[in-house]
Amino acid sequence: MKRFTSLLALFVLAGFQFLQAQSVQITGNVTSTDDGAPLPGVSVVVKGTTIGTVTDFDGNYSLAVPSSSNTLVFSFIGMKTQELAISGQTIINLALEPDIVGLDEVVITAIGIKRAEKALGYSVQTVNTDDIVESGSANVVNAINARTSGVQITSASGEAGAATHVTIRGSASILGNNEPLWVVDGMPINSGQGGGQDDDNATYGNVDGVTASSRSIDLNPDDIESISVLKGGAATALYGLRAANGVIVVTTKKGTTGKALKVDFHTRFGIEKLSQVEPMQRQYAQGNKGQWVGGFQRSFGPNVDTLQYDTTTNPDYKWDPNGMIVGQSNPNANGKPVQTYDQYDFFQTGMVYDNTLSVSAGSEKSTYYFSVSDLEQKGIIPNNKFARTSIRLNAETNLTSKIKVGTNVNYINSRANQIQKGSNISGVMLGLTRTPPTFDNAAGYEFPDGTQRTYRNGVGYDNPYWTANKNFFDEKVNRFIGNTTFSYNITDWINLYYNAGIDWYTRAYKDVFAVYSNQYPDGYDGEYSWTGGKFNGDLLLNLNRDFGDFLKASLTLGHNMYASFGKYLFGDADGLSIIGFYDVSNTTSQTADTYGEYYRTMAVFGDLSLDFMSMLFLDFTGRNDWSTTMPKANKSAFYPSASLGFVLTELPGLKNNNILPFAKIRASWARTANIASPYNTRTLYVPYTTGDGWVTTGVTTPFLGFSGFELSSSLGNPDLKHETMTSTEAGIDLRFYNNRLGLDFGYFYNKNTDLLLDVPIAASSGFQSVYQNAATMESKGIEITLKATPVVVGGFSWNIMANFTKMKNTVLELAPGVEDVFLGGFTVPQMRAVAGQEYGSMFGFDWYRDENGRILVNDDPSDAYPDGYPMPDERLMVPIGNVNPDWLLNITNTFSYKGISLSGLLDIKRGGDQYNGTAFAMNYLGTTERTLTRDVVYTPEGTIDFDKTPAGNIVVFDGVYGHVATDNSPVSSGVSNVTPVVLDESWLTGFGSNFGGGPSWAAIERADWVRLREITLSYSFPKSLLGKTFSNLQIYFTGRNLYLWTPYTGIDPETNLEGNVNSQGFDYFNNPGTKSYNFGLRVSF
Amino acid sequence: MKKKAFNILWKAGTVLLAFLLFSSCEKSWLDEEWNTPSSSPTDVPMELLVPTIQVEMGFNLEGNNTVRTTNLWMQQFDGYSRQSFTEMRYQLTPADVNNVWNSIYSGGLMTAKILIEKATANESPHYSGVGKVLTATMLGVFTDLFGDIPYSDALNGQEGNLTPIFDSQQEIYATIQTLLTEAIDELGSSDNAIDLAGDAIYDNDLDAWIAAAWALKARHALQLSKVNGNQAYTDALSYVANAISSNSGDMDVVWDAQDKNPLYQFMVDRGDIRMCETFLNLFAADDPRIAMFFGEDAAGGISGGAPAGENDATSPPGPALASQTSPTTLISYAEVKFIEAEANFRLGNTAPALAAYQEAVAASVNKIVGGDNSSWLDANINNETEATLNLNKIMTQKYLALHGQVQPFNDWRRTGIPALSLVPGAKTTEIPRRFPYSQSEITYNSNTPSGITITQRVWWDQ
Repeated sequence: MKRFTSLLALFVLAGFQFLQAQSVQITGNVTSTDDGAPLPGVSVVVKGTTIGTVTDFDGNYSLAVPSSSNTLVFSFIGMKTQELAISGQTIINLALEPDIVGLDEVVITAIGIKRAEKALGYSVQTVNTDDIVESGSANVVNAINARTSGVQITSASGEAGAATHVTIRGSASILGNNEPLWVVDGMPINSGQGGGQDDDNATYGNVDGVTASSRSIDLNPDDIESISVLKGGAATALYGLRAANGVIVVTTKKGTTGKALKVDFHTRFGIEKLSQVEPMQRQYAQGNKGQWVGGFQRSFGPNVDTLQYDTTTNPDYKWDPNGMIVGQSNPNANGKPVQTYDQYDFFQTGMVYDNTLSVSAGSEKSTYYFSVSDLEQKGIIPNNKFARTSIRLNAETNLTSKIKVGTNVNYINSRANQIQKGSNISGVMLGLTRTPPTFDNAAGYEFPDGTQRTYRNGVGYDNPYWTANKNFFDEKVNRFIGNTTFSYNITDWINLYYNAGIDWYTRAYKDVFAVYSNQYPDGYDGEYSWTGGKFNGDLLLNLNRDFGDFLKASLTLGHNMYASFGKYLFGDADGLSIIGFYDVSNTTSQTADTYGEYYRTMAVFGDLSLDFMSMLFLDFTGRNDWSTTMPKANKSAFYPSASLGFVLTELPGLKNNNILPFAKIRASWARTANIASPYNTRTLYVPYTTGDGWVTTGVTTPFLGFSGFELSSSLGNPDLKHETMTSTEAGIDLRFYNNRLGLDFGYFYNKNTDLLLDVPIAASSGFQSVYQNAATMESKGIEITLKATPVVVGGFSWNIMANFTKMKNTVLELAPGVEDVFLGGFTVPQMRAVAGQEYGSMFGFDWYRDENGRILVNDDPSDAYPDGYPMPDERLMVPIGNVNPDWLLNITNTFSYKGISLSGLLDIKRGGDQYNGTAFAMNYLGTTERTLTRDVVYTPEGTIDFDKTPAGNIVVFDGVYGHVATDNSPVSSGVSNVTPVVLDESWLTGFGSNFGGGPSWAAIERADWVRLREITLSYSFPKSLLGKTFSNLQIYFTGRNLYLWTPYTGIDPETNLEGNVNSQGFDYFNNPGTKSYNFGLRVSF
Repeated sequence: MKKKAFNILWKAGTVLLAFLLFSSCEKSWLDEEWNTPSSSPTDVPMELLVPTIQVEMGFNLEGNNTVRTTNLWMQQFDGYSRQSFTEMRYQLTPADVNNVWNSIYSGGLMTAKILIEKATANESPHYSGVGKVLTATMLGVFTDLFGDIPYSDALNGQEGNLTPIFDSQQEIYATIQTLLTEAIDELGSSDNAIDLAGDAIYDNDLDAWIAAAWALKARHALQLSKVNGNQAYTDALSYVANAISSNSGDMDVVWDAQDKNPLYQFMVDRGDIRMCETFLNLFAADDPRIAMFFGEDAAGGISGGAPAGENDATSPPGPALASQTSPTTLISYAEVKFIEAEANFRLGNTAPALAAYQEAVAASVNKIVGGDNSSWLDANINNETEATLNLNKIMTQKYLALHGQVQPFNDWRRTGIPALSLVPGAKTTEIPRRFPYSQSEITYNSNTPSGITITQRVWWDQ
């Protein structure tokens, strides 16, 4: 604790130290030699100092230069850096030449080390400020989505505050965390679900309830200067532990030296609409076998055209305000035809308001950036909300000419109300998509006595309006992320740097079910609070030496200390004494629970990079880590990396040619690691709790007046080793025709060994799992990035950027005796890791098939299976699908003319399966449009009249005749099936649905898509219209997901039931996605 | 001036650097102790293990994964929807029994093993006796459902044995009797170091445990009637003499408003079962237990649905089984009396058989309804004579009385009473006669017998 107090003191000290000195004012204008147009944003710096400024929109700058200064350095991305002697001038104008190669661009690599992109022996991709700011999304993750190669991002749903799942180059771990490490200004932050067991390692989610937001949502996109995506091992090796999944390095904005006060205001207003949903039928009423049955769970009743209301027999009928439903011929029918309703009217138009005000300035010695932002988002589900308030102060000051201190402080308050989803009787989509077309959920969800109005006469599932209005999941996060830096230039080539920071947060939620909710008929109040954080300290010694033109060398030596800690307190009340009062005290039965997790690591590391004649770049890193989560003998682990960049165009014969001005080949090799999660080295006692897979609550100690403990069902392991990833990467980077066309091709191969698994074991051993190094996995793929500027005419330009990714992530082996590992999902189907199969394979039941894989169609009239139909094979779960796409392609086209810019981001995903459990269940319920096949005409003898039955409702299953022997094995006749059968009610409520025993294979659908993920039109007003007050004024429109093509029939297939976890590809009454329209204004003065 | 400032900074920097380097190297930063969670004790006293086993048994051994399934098959319940409808039509996959298998082995039996070991080390035979009665109860229910199961080689994961061999059902039956004999001996010991505490079933009453042990011995002696013939009845009768002698001796786990009965929780969360007409039709029309076993149906009355008839308008399970506080019964006085009645009847001792039968039904009615209900008993049960009593009446009444337990499924397999017909849409050609092994055991223990189907018969059912 003491350490944090002193840290806080440092933050304060590092604040505003603006010092004055003797200076000369220099002004000037910077243009481009290309077209003579003014260049805004050019950096103008006094050589050898940090004193500098940037040019304004008209290319003008003004800088107070110390009288002792000699030279100014002008630099701008895409232009050659130029140095000019001051020689007593006070006006210095300059035209910058375009840099043909364009690779002097500096990117931020591991531990904040800046490198020229051309020097790298590995792939790093950056996403710039404007793309982030104009993406029109609350979570910065969505701004990266489809802008890079090798990165896959999935949003859980279109809800406000929805979780996202990010992987880079596939998955590196079977059961561990597969999400990249997020590093903000050198400080690793939590991007997981933010609390609860395994804070870092959000392995399992829930198939029901709510999914917590991913905590990357706490970052204000407006504060971000740039994002570097470090993909391979060589790029991330300096981070050591946890770097195996890649690193997302975020750099926040700073003030500019010598720049007078600048105020930026950004406001965005957006609306969100429901994207696609599974179509529901509006032809058949509630009921069974063609008869209307009020309160019945299914919609296999009569055709609604034959129905009217009866308001006489039972005038107090409360379930339908129109009255009870009867046939037209009923004497009490009142002549009013029965209404049907669009259940999806439940969804509303979502709205978002996002405002950021920032102030930045800099003197010669000090700079600061201060921002306040507020985001308020209202989702498409009533009462689904997300809000974020963020305050940031970044300040830096030169204490002396050699010592610089800085601090970045960010306070965030995030608030969300999440809505129940998934396999849950309060889930919104579950109640909504089961509702018969004749029942209007909107006609009241609560009776005057407080009981619930639902289509099942009060029982079964909650009315979605009830869930949205009466059951709350209110989540609040208070978070403080801050770091302080100390930089000391001991000589002009030795620098000492210290960066220490904390990410400290509390995440609290209140989970409320009103009395008469079906899940908790007596009401429920749960309160949870997690206080956690991370401390990180990096001490670096940087040495930079030029040995003439032949060799430039830099060496970094570092030391890292890291601690992660957190604890939750949970209390709940099941059964509320006072209706409508939600507090844990309001009950006769409370439970309380607490859990804490703490671990620390330490490391030393070094990075040597050599630059031979700007042609050959070599980089070696090494890092040794120690962790408290590992057993004593295996505490320490060493991770090396080596990379090579060879710029072919520096070779004599190739230098300075115009067709291919730049070509580089790169190769790298690295070993990185993951540590065990805490507390797995021993078997410990745990408080007793049980459930049985059917019930939500179960039993938790203390019970019946006793307190109980049991030995953990997971067997501890004193022989754990680190998970190791060896990654190899090679690539080529080519730039043609004055850099108008750039092509980058990369190949990577990662092999992950000693992967830690909670390996399931036979419970007869007394334990259900043992944590051990038990798997090997590989991930390989290619990444291609194309950048082109096909047209530059006058003020018009057209830019293309495309990223293509194709990868395969395969489980190579599992520990002896382990045939599969459960990764998530349901009892059936589920996601499993199986040796030889891709990571991300779904397992479930299939139909009975012959040895050639053809489906068996039953030919045995004596057995229990209907003849002419396929039969589910429930002997063994088999692979039924694979969530991994075959390839991903995103293409951004940007057209600019003067101040107008139009940019469209097309995102194409080919392949990848998804379990549409929603539709498969809706078959049984008779609510999906697919169940209109029920319409079957019978002959007077009671057999199917194939002539009169609509042709579309008759099928001949593709397969061969066969049946199931008494030992459950398949028997095939080999003869192709020609028997016509109907997809009627008994099929739909039978094997045509998961509830009727149908195999999960039948619910697998392709989740390909082509989507216009983002389209942005922006206009920057010319300076001539702005006058003196404004330096910049821009308006823009951004649409997200405005166009979606997919063969998937349910909701937007970019969805995931369990949120930010490894198990993906399940759609089971997930909340749907959205399309959004955003309007923004950015103004600077 | 400048030099002085520099000196100060240099010193400050050195101190800071030294602090960081040396504090990080000191032992505490990476100390072993950081890897012990604050919420996990490294050892716990025996009295905190006893209730864990008991609640595990109440919730899982005789819970939704066993009682609900077997009562569906025995047509006491009717599964009208979703998974319960599937099970009603005799579909039960290995994955479906993972939960109960895993929780009883790694929770119940493993904790009981630790309890017995601790008791032995602490010279406390009373704890050891309780541990053995609980172990025998679990093994009994499990072997009846699964046949051959691991025990002699099981629960040794900490010693590195992750794939125990399976004991035959015959061996398990011998083990049950041995464990109970040892338990009776240990519970009667006068040389006990640590007094029994934490007992959620019998409130630390040693005599009650001894009586329960005798009752379990009787249950498992009788269960071998197909194998042992009359010896089974003779053995059972010899054990009954010392067994539970009143309803107050029932081995019940009693739930409360906070930790609710598992079937109650099932009905709240899933609710896919209703009462079956097969069960209702076997009651005398005015049996007072009907109102307790059957809840109010959609029309406000009492009704049972046709088996697998997908009718949700009939009565849900009633308050005797499905209220928040309904007890889970592991073995009861009524069962002891039914054992006595059946054994005597089979051996031709009709007079004591009749007396035991009448006492058994009276005990059941008293337990379910409360009060002595003598007028109904006199008119319906006590009017029975030695001449009119038959096996069918005894077993049918036992089937009615033991509703909500696994035992009716065991008795039905042994006696065929009551006669049940296959439900419409059955997925098997006959009513199942056992559970499949759990998917996790099949997958992770190669010793698991293969090729088992749920219509195969266990050893005592041949």
